[in-house]
Amino acid sequence: MKTFEYITPETIDEALELLGEGAQILAGGTDLLGEMKRGLATPKRLINLKGIQGLADIRSIPDGFLTIGSLATLSHLAEHPLVAQHYPLLIEALQRTASPQIRNIATVGGNLCQRPRCWYYRHSAFPCIRKHGEGCFAMGGQDRYHAIFGGHRCFIVHPSDLAPALMALDAEVRIAHADDSRIVPLTDFFVGPRDSLTQENILTRQEILTAIRIPVPPDNAYGTYLKVSERKATDFALASVAVSIAWLDTQVTHARVVLGGVAPVPWRVKQVEEMLIGDELSGKRIERACERAVDDATPLRHNRYKVALVKGLLRKALHAAHRSREKGEK
Amino acid sequence: MNRYGLKEKIELRINHATHHIEVDVRDTLLDALRDQLGLTGTKRGCDMGECGACTVLMDGKPINSCMLLAVDVMGRNIMTIEGLAQDELHPIQQAFVENGAVQCGFCTPGMILTAKAFLDHCSNPTDDDVRQAISGNLCRCTGYRKIVEAILDAASRLRRGKRHV
Amino acid sequence: MSSWPSAQEAKVLGKRVTRLSGVDKVTGRAKYTYDIRLPGLLYGKILRCPYASAKILSVDTSKAEALPGVRAVVVVDENKTCRFVGDEVAAVAATSTDIAEDAIRLIEVEYDIGNYVVDEQTSMKPGAPKVHEDRENVRPGGVNEQGSIDDAFAEAAVTLEATYSTQVQTHMCLETHGHVVEWDGESMTVWASTQAVFGVRGSLADHFELPADQVRVITEHMGGGFGSKFGPGVEGVLAARLAKEAEAPVKLMLDRKEEFLAVGNRPSAIAEIRAAASKDGRLLAMDMKTYGTGGASGGAGFPLPYVYTVNNRRRQHSDVFINAGNARAMRAPGHPQASFIMESMMDELAYELGMDPLEFRRRNDPNEVRQGQYTVGAREIGWHRRNRNPREMKGTLRRGIGMGCGLWGGGGGKGTQARCTIHSDGTVEVVTGTQDLGTGIRTAIAIVAAEGLGLAPEQIHVRIGDSQPGLPSGGSGGSTTTASVTPVIKTAVDKARVQLLQWVAEEMEVEATALTVGDGKIFLADDLSRNLSWKEATSLLGTDMIVTEGEWDSNLRQSGVAGVQFAEVEVDLQTGQIQPIRIVAVQDCGLVVNRLTAESQVYSGVIQGLSWALLEDRIMDPSTGLMINPDMEYYKVTGSLDMPDIQVIMYDTHRKVTGLGEPPVIPTAGAIANAVFNATGLRFRSIPITPDKVLTAYKEANA
Repeated sequence: MKTFEYITPETIDEALELLGEGAQILAGGTDLLGEMKRGLATPKRLINLKGIQGLADIRSIPDGFLTIGSLATLSHLAEHPLVAQHYPLLIEALQRTASPQIRNIATVGGNLCQRPRCWYYRHSAFPCIRKHGEGCFAMGGQDRYHAIFGGHRCFIVHPSDLAPALMALDAEVRIAHADDSRIVPLTDFFVGPRDSLTQENILTRQEILTAIRIPVPPDNAYGTYLKVSERKATDFALASVAVSIAWLDTQVTHARVVLGGVAPVPWRVKQVEEMLIGDELSGKRIERACERAVDDATPLRHNRYKVALVKGLLRKALHAAHRSREKGEK
Repeated sequence: MNRYGLKEKIELRINHATHHIEVDVRDTLLDALRDQLGLTGTKRGCDMGECGACTVLMDGKPINSCMLLAVDVMGRNIMTIEGLAQDELHPIQQAFVENGAVQCGFCTPGMILTAKAFLDHCSNPTDDDVRQAISGNLCRCTGYRKIVEAILDAASRLRRGKRHV
Repeated sequence: MSSWPSAQEAKVLGKRVTRLSGVDKVTGRAKYTYDIRLPGLLYGKILRCPYASAKILSVDTSKAEALPGVRAVVVVDENKTCRFVGDEVAAVAATSTDIAEDAIRLIEVEYDIGNYVVDEQTSMKPGAPKVHEDRENVRPGGVNEQGSIDDAFAEAAVTLEATYSTQVQTHMCLETHGHVVEWDGESMTVWASTQAVFGVRGSLADHFELPADQVRVITEHMGGGFGSKFGPGVEGVLAARLAKEAEAPVKLMLDRKEEFLAVGNRPSAIAEIRAAASKDGRLLAMDMKTYGTGGASGGAGFPLPYVYTVNNRRRQHSDVFINAGNARAMRAPGHPQASFIMESMMDELAYELGMDPLEFRRRNDPNEVRQGQYTVGAREIGWHRRNRNPREMKGTLRRGIGMGCGLWGGGGGKGTQARCTIHSDGTVEVVTGTQDLGTGIRTAIAIVAAEGLGLAPEQIHVRIGDSQPGLPSGGSGGSTTTASVTPVIKTAVDKARVQLLQWVAEEMEVEATALTVGDGKIFLADDLSRNLSWKEATSLLGTDMIVTEGEWDSNLRQSGVAGVQFAEVEVDLQTGQIQPIRIVAVQDCGLVVNRLTAESQVYSGVIQGLSWALLEDRIMDPSTGLMINPDMEYYKVTGSLDMPDIQVIMYDTHRKVTGLGEPPVIPTAGAIANAVFNATGLRFRSIPITPDKVLTAYKEANA
């Protein structure tokens, strides 16, 4: 690890002031420290946000939103009573994230801003395009964990379990900048390789992610997060699916379907959402939705299985949703 | 200024005692515990947050001490394996010994501290609960079975202990 | 000729005895090599070659040496040819690990980079880059032939042609390899994370041309070896060189990445097989071409045919070299590979024949122990519940049952010296030069001594893991430790008891042969009321003490350990996930010394076999020659949630000690793969069986 200057600001303004060339934000550090130990990140200045009052708070606010400070740890979020009450989907995603030890340190903001887990990217000896090197080693290489959607010169997948779940809940993020703050839908937060080959989100060097806001889900909403990994715990998703669905009687009125582990960004499949809305969730419709979800998949040499996997997971999730509605009726 | 990293005097609260040590800003909590304070019961297995051998408790919760900078834990209460037993073994330690949950022993301190934090909040766990709780602690020797049995046994010892109080 | 007490007589032998080091390990007091701290300790770090093939042209260490905090820099060999990424080039000792790492980066090496090959298939092709200039990449063995292949195929009812393969597995000991070395003039003390205290002593003494007694090796506790820690390795020699050069103690522990690259692995195995069976279920013939890679210079042998009788057979095996880290012994070397290949093939033939796979094995298995184990295992797993037509099952969540077998030696051998001392204050000390990898030999020694002296195991002071007393013992490998060490302990202790009884006999004015020991007392066998407590008895020694040495007695041990495992799995064909539900391990073990630790060995073997069957894989990148997954994130091993319900059945067949560390790892992968077939009708001829492979195979089967 290269040495650095370590600073602990007490306000966001102070923190923003410290940003600049060579500076990096330290939140939980479970991702950044790994990068520093491998020599992938060599910050000259480390700005630890943990000393900033209120940045780890989780609160419900009068307008119906749940606000999660970006420094809240994953375990803090998973244990919060409001989450258990309104967003069981989040708990499912959090329970499948990393390990209990990591969840006690890793933060919600850090989870959304984490760097890729591509094994070529993480390996210090592969000078890939995402590390300002040349080309993508997964192309023509060992690509079984890589993207089947949205790849372009780089085929990383977004590793977060939380991000697809938050996106399925229509979450927004608050971003602080010295001049002003902005609120951005999570769907617009992530950046694919067509827009950037070195950055996975829209944060500039002058900005800090300070909070995540989630609206109260619609009445009768059902949500679930399903994930398949090779190891049951402490493993990233081969594929995952976050689904949030609401009904009026038997008719689907609201649908969010977001895939994880299959694209450089959490992959929202709007075409599936649209076809689900306005109809019953019949077996036939579920099958069509599953087909539709993988319409535009472009697998690499060894990751075609992810097409079947996405279909399998989505089928399970939608059937679970259907069963839950039927159970609700009784 | 030393060109090998800024040295910093820090205060750490470990096992209910306050320690003043000088660390390199790059030192992780694990480095500080093992190399500065000689608390070598906390093991270094992977140094990447994967194996759980370096687990300690921070404010009662298990964390990977290899994934936190030492300068980042000032003001927090850290418990290492050395702080668990006072005069006699903690019931979890006793259960690990008696159930044969220890083999090479390298994962054991981390495993026990994870179990401690878990049993502090869950007094009557199922087999599955225990396996979830230790899912961040790798063991290459025991096959986990006897570890799970030891933690279940410890839970029942702790329940009995409580009833007697 | 000596013999062990019967089950009825035994007081502690074969009981559940908690391990002597348990308290030290649960309190963190147990000191591993990694934990050794000495005044003025320096930290070592190795510079490793970043190329898969490179000749070193020059090494310039001047910048590294000039770095403040650096105390020594040594070069492995200025003219070395590096043959894999991670090959050792140089090493540094500095006042901190960070400085040592900085210094490593300052060493300038000029390489002549060569071409390389990192997979067996490419390496075997004509014109492939040569791993060694002076030899071919393929080292073919002779053709072994017995019976007549052609005749056997002519009379076969079914034949099978298939290629099976197993991947490279790494040991992944939780404590990495490493040493702490301190010189005192021309003598050195070495704390080593090793399976062979005396092996390390011998190698280092040879290297530095010292009399062996000027090298002291200490291994009080160590965090796993699994076959990878028999000698000091290049890293141990470097640690010693650095310490000598720096004139200060040096600790050189490898990091996790180095561990994956450079300190051993289980070689791969590939078998192209033609097999034939008769209508009545006889395995008639096997025609085999096999190969595997043990890296740049390691062998890759494995036994085949395995376990079953095959009268007509032909086999040629070749070791294939590639530019990757070398193989080392790994838990039952060769056998898990052989078992997976053989058991998969047996299963396929049985289904082809339309015969119960268990019955097919029974008809070809000459081992009587296993014949008995089949019955027990089949009953416990519920073999009758298996699918009769695996290819015709419906639904996406499917369960199936499979089985596999194993055989191991484990009989131990000569070479251990041990001493038993009884002091007049009652203290009993047992000393030998073996080491405890976590298997529990320390406790086993105490049990054997306690049994012989009528004491409790915790009353025995066991001193092992130190070469200083000059009582050598072999390396802990081949599951030989118990069978090599405990007979020597027993004979030493028996002699000591006889001597003590003579002292007591004189005092009590009886014949020594009329006395017996038990419950911490010495009794007159015919009149239990006439006794002396242990302390009273030993106090008779006055200023004297009893010192005895033991010798190995082959009558106390037996070789040949059979095992059978049955596995039940559930396969989700929508996600490709395989969930092992239950594994029944029926394990031959001879005389169990400590039931608690013996069971643990079986659980451990099953989990490691399972991990290899479903997860572990060293993945090489052909374009760069790098290992892609040299970390615990992508080199995946089983965690607590991946563990099935495991039922261990200790199948005690005789009253002689034998080894148990390795045999339980052998049958698991075959049993799992066969269970997957029984569940799904999908045959996986290579492991690990990961979700991508399951989904791909399922899709192909339904295309």
